[in-house]
Amino acid sequence: MIRLAWRNLQRNKARTWLTACGIGFAVLLVSFAMSLQSGSYEIMIDSATRYFTGHGQISTDDYIEQPRFARTIANAESLQATLEAIDGLTVFPRVQAFGVVSKDEKSLGGMILGVDFAAEREQLDVYNNVIAGQVPDASDQALIGAAMARNIGANLGDEIVVLGSGKQGSVAAAVFIVAGIVETGQVELDRSLIFAPFASVADAFYLADEAHMLVLMLNDLSRLNDIAAEVEAQLPESLGLQTWQQLMPLIEQSIELDKAGGYLFFSLLLILVTFAVVNTFVMGLFERTREFGLFMALGMRPWQVIGQVQFEALLLSLLGVLLGLALAYPLLVYLTSVGIALDQVGGEEVSRQMQMGSMSRIYPRATWPSMTTAPLVLIIGTQLAALVSTLRVQGIRPVTALRAE
Amino acid sequence: MTEFAETSKATSPVVECRGVQRIYQQDSVPVYALRGADLTIHAGEFVSLAGPSGSGKSTLLNVIGGLDGFDAGSVTVGGVDLAALTPAQLAQTRLHNVGFVFQAYNLIPVLSARENVEFILQLQGVASQQRRSRADRALRSMGLAELGDRRPGELSGGQQQRVAIARAIVTEPVLLLADEPTANLDSKTTSELLAVLRDLNQQQGMTIVTATHDPIVMEYTSRQVTMLDGEIRQDDGVTA
Ligand SMILES: Nc1ncnc2c1ncn2[C@@H]1O[C@H](COP(=O)(O)OP(=O)(O)OP(=O)(O)O)[C@@H](O)[C@H]1O
Ligand SMILES: [Mg+2]
Repeated sequence: MIRLAWRNLQRNKARTWLTACGIGFAVLLVSFAMSLQSGSYEIMIDSATRYFTGHGQISTDDYIEQPRFARTIANAESLQATLEAIDGLTVFPRVQAFGVVSKDEKSLGGMILGVDFAAEREQLDVYNNVIAGQVPDASDQALIGAAMARNIGANLGDEIVVLGSGKQGSVAAAVFIVAGIVETGQVELDRSLIFAPFASVADAFYLADEAHMLVLMLNDLSRLNDIAAEVEAQLPESLGLQTWQQLMPLIEQSIELDKAGGYLFFSLLLILVTFAVVNTFVMGLFERTREFGLFMALGMRPWQVIGQVQFEALLLSLLGVLLGLALAYPLLVYLTSVGIALDQVGGEEVSRQMQMGSMSRIYPRATWPSMTTAPLVLIIGTQLAALVSTLRVQGIRPVTALRAE
Repeated sequence: MTEFAETSKATSPVVECRGVQRIYQQDSVPVYALRGADLTIHAGEFVSLAGPSGSGKSTLLNVIGGLDGFDAGSVTVGGVDLAALTPAQLAQTRLHNVGFVFQAYNLIPVLSARENVEFILQLQGVASQQRRSRADRALRSMGLAELGDRRPGELSGGQQQRVAIARAIVTEPVLLLADEPTANLDSKTTSELLAVLRDLNQQQGMTIVTATHDPIVMEYTSRQVTMLDGEIRQDDGVTA
């Protein structure tokens, strides 16, 4: 039966190859596009989260609800240590306070962020955008936004004074030397941000072993769900974990939107190809009425004839799918290691959008869904098409079919 | 099915038609293809079915072979009443008990001669080793031992018809039906093919019914039946 199916496909070689190539091309195109898509999401997520926000953040539930200075995580150090024991996870604390920043006579409202510079530098990209000076490495140094520096007239090496209200209404005060100026690209931040060493800020604002948030960074973002579950198991009742999906809902939404658009496009493409396949296949079947008549005259049952044609259809679609995957897979493996330069793909617009991060290339990612969706749809589509167009053999009467000259 | 075959050869006639009618509706006008045909055929006979075009020869062969239904009368083949069989059972009957040779388009073009013969054994579920040897034997008996690997398109018309006969007899049917098997052959090849059929009848006792226009066929057959307007008009074996 395999032999008969194969020979039948060879009967019209041109048509068979054309159909198989059609299937192969669709497989190639869709697998490639889907892999590229999942690769680009990864980049989007990665560059967005790696910039400043992190893959996840832990805060107290009421801080998540409304960030107030007093709503801190207690015993922050031991919690950090516990969480860092989880494989593939890096944790660093932040405190966040509002205050007045002054240099000489000029004052401005600002947000003072106490961070672990050593840890954050390794993980986050915002520190790559220091346009003057360097990332602080002493306890009395600060990194300030470019717009703020301009507005208060602060230069590298200048002293700035930070005044705010610490815990329980006490007055908090600290003096920092400007070690670096950062331009994040976001006006809001550049106008108001001051990064200073975690310990110094915590001291100045009278916090003891407390933090407003613990930022989580994963080595492998695809393990997020597992690690998030592990983390949550370790958290006391009053603390909550927000992953990037909650922290940056817009990113998640735009990905969902893009996915939906992609699916629409892929479905259309697959439907078109399936129709083309159906068309060539059905044309071939109509020419074979007499042959089917002969089969049945010899004692084959209609369902056996249908089965025979199903087999042919399967061989054909497998041929096409293998062809497509054989082309797509090496291409993807190659591009996954080399990457595609972003300005090559999408021009300036894309590279500007991605510029927030340090990535300038997309690495397509072959996932199970991206590599199996098109083949499955096409195989099933071809089988169905062959089935629908052979159901009529039940109505073929061998006598009439063989009579037709 | 084997049981069926044994009883048939031993006792009752191979074919018994009584008052068979076959009415086609053509554009809602009834066409009487058979209007009460009576015919009895015994094992070992070689019957020619003659008559003008449209007299019902093909229709009668198809009815006997279980390829076509009928509207009145009775048909038994090997003692089995065809009217009582389901389509599936009719297909089984065709597969196991009747061999067919048609006027044209007998062979599956993409399969070699041997594969064409094996095909029907495969439908019967015969194991592949046996298939091969039985197909070769059938081809040899048709003088085609050398040509088993050729495709139908690479064979002459006479050779193709002999492959069709090989396929028809490889299942060892109780009855071989041939509908104008020589219609597309020249006179020399026609004689050769008829000789092959006669040998088959005389040496292996195969019961054969062949419809024909060609008077020369009558020189080879053991009994001549003539049809006209859907009825049997003349039958020189009616005494049997
Ligand atoms: N499927 C059909 N539909 C309608 N009429 C049919 C059909 N098959 C046969 N007939 C009619 O039945 C009659 C007998 O046809 P049949 O083919 O049995 O004749 P025949 O003796 O074999 O003729 P020929 O020598 O031309 O082969 C003819 O009038 C034919 O037109
Ligand atoms: Mg006829």
